[in-house]
Parts: sequence; structure tokens; C-alpha cells
Amino acid sequence: MHFLKPIIGVLVAYLLIKIGVPFLGSLSHPGTWPVVPTAVMKMYLFFIIAGAFVASTFSEEGYNGLIGPIVDLYGNPAKAKLRLGAVAAVSLLGTWVAYQYVKPSFDAPVELRSVHPAPPSSANMWGKSFELQTLKNPFREDKANFAKNVEEGGIVYYKNCFYCHGDKQDGKGHFYSAFNPIPANFVDVGTIAMLTESFVFWRVGTGGPGLPSEGAPWATAMPVWHTMLSEEEVWKAVMFIYEQSGVQPRVTATVAEKK
Amino acid sequence: MSLFKNVRYTGLAVWGILFAIAITYAAPEAFAAAGDAKKGEAIYQKRCWWCHGKKGGADGPAAPFLIPPPRDFTLGMYKYKTSDPKAEIPRDEDLFREITNGMPGTGMPAWNDILKDQDRWDVVAYIKSLTDLFGKTPNPAQIDVSKKIKSSADSIAKGKQAFQTAKCYECHGQLGKGDLTKKLKEDSGIRVWPRNLTKPWTFRGGYTAEDIYARVSNGIPNTPMPSFAADATSSGKLSVEDRWHVVNYVMSLAEPTSQVKDGENVVKGLKRDAMPKDENDAAWGEAQSTAFFMVPQIVQKDRFFTPANDLVKVKAFYNENEIALLLEWDDRTKSIPGDPTAELIAWDTIAPDMIAVQTPVVLPSGSEKPYFGHGDGSHTVSMMAWNSGTTAAPAVGSMMLYTGTGKRTPGDAAAAGFTSSGSYKDGTWKVMMKRKLVTANKDKETQIEAGRFIPIAFANWDGSNGEGGSKHTMTSWNWLFLQPPTGKEVYLVPLLVLILLAGGQLLAAKFLEKNRK
Repeated sequence: MHFLKPIIGVLVAYLLIKIGVPFLGSLSHPGTWPVVPTAVMKMYLFFIIAGAFVASTFSEEGYNGLIGPIVDLYGNPAKAKLRLGAVAAVSLLGTWVAYQYVKPSFDAPVELRSVHPAPPSSANMWGKSFELQTLKNPFREDKANFAKNVEEGGIVYYKNCFYCHGDKQDGKGHFYSAFNPIPANFVDVGTIAMLTESFVFWRVGTGGPGLPSEGAPWATAMPVWHTMLSEEEVWKAVMFIYEQSGVQPRVTATVAEKK
Repeated sequence: MSLFKNVRYTGLAVWGILFAIAITYAAPEAFAAAGDAKKGEAIYQKRCWWCHGKKGGADGPAAPFLIPPPRDFTLGMYKYKTSDPKAEIPRDEDLFREITNGMPGTGMPAWNDILKDQDRWDVVAYIKSLTDLFGKTPNPAQIDVSKKIKSSADSIAKGKQAFQTAKCYECHGQLGKGDLTKKLKEDSGIRVWPRNLTKPWTFRGGYTAEDIYARVSNGIPNTPMPSFAADATSSGKLSVEDRWHVVNYVMSLAEPTSQVKDGENVVKGLKRDAMPKDENDAAWGEAQSTAFFMVPQIVQKDRFFTPANDLVKVKAFYNENEIALLLEWDDRTKSIPGDPTAELIAWDTIAPDMIAVQTPVVLPSGSEKPYFGHGDGSHTVSMMAWNSGTTAAPAVGSMMLYTGTGKRTPGDAAAAGFTSSGSYKDGTWKVMMKRKLVTANKDKETQIEAGRFIPIAFANWDGSNGEGGSKHTMTSWNWLFLQPPTGKEVYLVPLLVLILLAGGQLLAAKFLEKNRK
């Protein structure tokens, strides 16, 4: 029984990552099956197996329960046939794993990239400097013209952004497919919902090339919008993407206190 | 008494569940007429007007950037009808289907994930109210699909025959790639390209046999695609049987290698001592093909929104000295300026077709690469390009260097041993580019090594689609990998592992048996 527990535990954890994670992903994005990358899976499995081993050998009893049957299988002359089977199975499994490592393959290297890297304290756009820590959306306070400003932001969005970020703000506009990394999905809780408006303003204004190196500025297709849109247009478009995706911008302590 | 009660409630629950299931499956039909236009208007004014216009006139802010343009609901002209060919109007289900599934290759997404069934029926009710075309006419009957013919070699052959008789090839091309022989426009005057039948997943109105049958029978109103139903008033007509044969033939044209595999982003270079002599060399049949999506250049001025080509397929061979790339892409037009046929079909001014391949001059050691759009000040990219030429000047290949968007200097093609050749047949361009792996100018050309992942990006210009300069289709960075030939280690390493594992276990067993209490 001690012998089975860690094996079952590892198996359940493996299935959760292999099937559970993509299943959750498919719920928030129907029609997709976002699998966990093999490299990440290997990393998780290493810790899960190590954890299961440590947990099940923590006590003397647990250790004997796990090791005992193995010692018995290999050392008991009465189990010679079973032992031969075990030797063959372990050897062949190891051989197969080794072959997987050395066989020729075209698997591209996994490149990790920080999607929302720490912003600089200030950014230069439209020939002036913006202090990102204290920067606020100037249109947010204008309650009287809120709907009008959001609509104007929507017009900016549909003339410039929707081709990649999509009609549904899901990052799947009709021209998203050739880009890697793919465009940001605004309805995902991991994007604009956890960012301040000033961060989003900076990301839009300086685009892909404005990212620090951990954000892979060489790879992203986000244009440098301050060269093509006005400051007002960007602020209004930012307000629109929050409204249309039904999420609220994150408010930082500094900004909150200043209110 | 309580037992009776429990049984009764259980029975009720079972009936309730069955009823719910029945309602769910019957829903689309049951609610077809039950859309609430008022509720639909609220959804429309939040989600749809940006393209289709506040009053449905297809004049939303995004409309000028979209080809095909958004549907104009005030005209009530719908393209994808599954109603009986005799009916003037589409079925409510047709409007519902396009909202639900969207239209691939257009700005119209599938709304089924964020709008519920009832929401979509409400929108149908609202957009129907924007025209008087529907009036009080009841929802027309669906086209009769009961005579469906199962696909077979015989049916496909008959379909191929009917494809010729009805002159489908005039627009769709002999191999179905949409390589048209005449300029096509919609009744409204805007440009329209015929569908490439080898990519059924791009069919706007779906690609089941029934969908295609409805398209062949009803045509696409407002466009050059006529109705082929025998009782329609078009010149080419096909019997019900022939239309089903054509459906089976069209479905047989699907080309799986033109479908991009999810997550696949590597050009697979295989070692081959003899390099192919040109793009049509039979040796290319042994290579592995990878398909890459291409999208228009919408990153920098002048941005481009209305592409015609969507995909490039790439193969690669290499030997001790050289690398050869084969670039294949479906293009409806062979754009040769000066050529009368090409000039006739082209939209706007005709320019040559082009394809370009970009790689970093210095292979990245970490993840840092040149900016994907022509590199940057500290990272130069090398480009190989091919231009289809004009009637006055032959096709030509060239090499160049970029140190940032548009910052170009000529490369040294001769020193790199660069050669290229290209040809166009039945709607497909094939271009081969060949160069030395290692060149004399290490600061001008990529020094290509086998066994290393090399960033690679592609760009393509369709000269008959108004493309040239910054207006083109493209990819961002992908990979080129020249696979080193399989060495002995592929067999030796696993063999060694096998010996060690088996030997180790047997030794351990011997030890354990000896020390057994």
C-alpha cells in the first residue's frame, strides 16, 4: 500500500497537468486546448516525483513500506521470474527515455519571456517624459463625457487595434495568426485587469520595441503607437478596452491615495 | 407514503432532465422566430456597429480597412444562403450561422463563445429589421439535401468532368487554387477574389458537403459566383446529381499541407548530398514541408490591411557547402507588369510578385535577436529576395542587408554564391533560393550551421493586389534548423543505458540475495 500511494499521487498530478490545465483553458477559451509545454511539464514532474518520494519516506515505516517490496523483489529467490520481468521493464524504459533524448528532432527551443515586465519609472513619448508611477488617465475623471470618450476610444481601436486584438478583445483578430508572441488577450484576467492604466498606456505608446530585454522587444509585433496616434487617442483607446472587456484597471496605492 | 413520494419526485426529475435535453437540442429551430429585436439592438450597438455601422449601412469606423467589406444590412443582400434556390431571401438560420461561426479570412469572428444562442437570435431579429426585404415573408424552406451522393472515386471523376463543363476553372483555376482568368468584382464594384478550393477551411459559409452543395446551387448573390441550380436563370447549369459530384470533387481538392499545424514553427532542413537543380526538381518530394501563416504588414507606416495571400510553405536541403530553400505559395495571379493577361486581372497598378527571407547576420547565442522588422541598429539582418520580373526584365534574385526598418544596403550575392529561380503554375509560385552555408563576409551574411536553431522570417508581395514597398504580407520570427545527419550516438547511447541498467540491476539483485536475512 505504501508502495502504491506515491505512484498514484504522481499519476494524478501528471493527469491534472496533462488534461486538467488544458481543460480549464478550454473553458475560458472554447475551441482551444492549451497544453502545458513539454519543458515545463518535465520541470513540474521532477518536483512532483521528488516531493512524493520525500513525503513517502519521511517516516521509518513509510521508508520501509516503499523500499521493502523492492528489496524483496530483487532479493527473494522465490520471485526470480518476477525479478527478471522487472529488470527487463526498467532497462527497456530507461533505454526508451535515453533514445527520446538523443533521437533527431525539430522541436524548437523554448523561449521564456516576461509578458508584463516591470515598467521603467518614466517613459518618453510624443517628445516628452511621462512619470509612470503617478500617471493617470485624464479622461477617467470626466464623468459627464464618459460614454462619448469611450466611444471615441472604440473608434481608435477599430481603426488600429482590432486587426490583431480582435472584435472580442481576445487577442484573436483576423491578422493575429502569424505573430509570435500572440497579441494580448484583454478578457484574460492575467492582462489588463491586473495592470494599471498607466502601464497599459506605456505598453501601447512605446510598443514592442519599448520593452526591456526580458520582454523580448525584438519579437513582438506591437507597433510604437506614439508615432502613429495622439496622446488623447491612446488614453481613450485604453479606456475603451477596459470598458469593452468588462474589467477594471488596477489601482495602485499611490494613485489611490492621490484621489 | 414517503417512498411513494420519493419515487414520484425521482420520476419528475428524470422527465425534467429529458425535457431539458430535448429543448437544448431543439433550441435553434424552436427559437428561430423568437428573437427579440430590441435586445438584439443593445448587443448590436455594443459589439457590431464598429464594422456594420450604427444603422447597419456597413459604414462603421473599421469598414474602410476590410476586404471583404462588412455586410450592409440595409440592403438585405446576403451571400451565404441555404434556402431553396427559388427563394429570394436567406433563412434565419443562415444569419444565425454566420454570427455563430464567423467567416474565416474576414473580420467577422465566431461569436458563439461570448454570445448565448438566444442573444444571437436576438441579433438576427434586429438585423432583419434593418431592411424591408424580409417583410412578412415566412422563413424559406431549406435547400433539399436529401439526394446527397456519397463520395467515391467515380463521383469525384464525374465531379471533375462537371467542373469542366460548367467552366468552374475560369475563376477557380484548373487545380482549384482560384487562379482566375478574368478580373472579378462584386455588383457593388469592389474587388473579389475567387475561393482557393484547396483550402476548404477558408470557405466563408462552411465546408461540409451540405454547405458546399448550397453554395454551388445558390451561388453567392452580388458576386460573380452564379447559381448552378438547373431551375436558376444562369448560363451554366448543373443537375442535382452533377452538383453533388462537384461537391465531392471540391472536397477531394483539400490540400492538408496547406494547413498550418498548431505550434509548428520550424523549417526542417534535411541533409542531401546532391542539391536540387531548380524549384521543380523531383528531389523536393523527399523534403519536409512546413506551412507558415502570413499576415499583412500592420506594424509600421504605411500599414497594409487587405492581403490576398495567406500562407507560405517552406522546405530545405543542405550539404557540406550549400543550403537550398524551396518557397511555395498559392497566389491567384502571376503578376508580370506588361503582360496583357496579368494587367487585365490586376487590381490597381500591377507590380512584380516577390518573396523575401530574412535571417540575423550574427546567430544569437541567447534569446536576444534582431528586431523582426528588418533588424535594428545593433543587429543586422541578411535578406535573400526574389522578384518575378516584368515583360521587359527577367525574374531576378538579390541579397541585401538591413540595419533597421527600411535601412537597406546591397549585399554581395556573388560572394555568398547566391542563386535563385522561380516558376508559376496553376495558381502556385515555387521559388528556390540557394547559397553557401559559410561565406567570406562574416559581417554581411548569416553563417549557417547545421544543428543550430536559426531565426528566420518571410515576406511576400502580391503585385496584382496593390502590394509593394511596406505593403506586403509577412511572418514574425520562426526557426530554420538543419538537422545534422544521424550519428552513431543515436544507437550507442541507448545501448549503453540498456547495458548499465540491466547489469546494475542484476548486480544489485545478486547482492540483495546474498545479504538476505
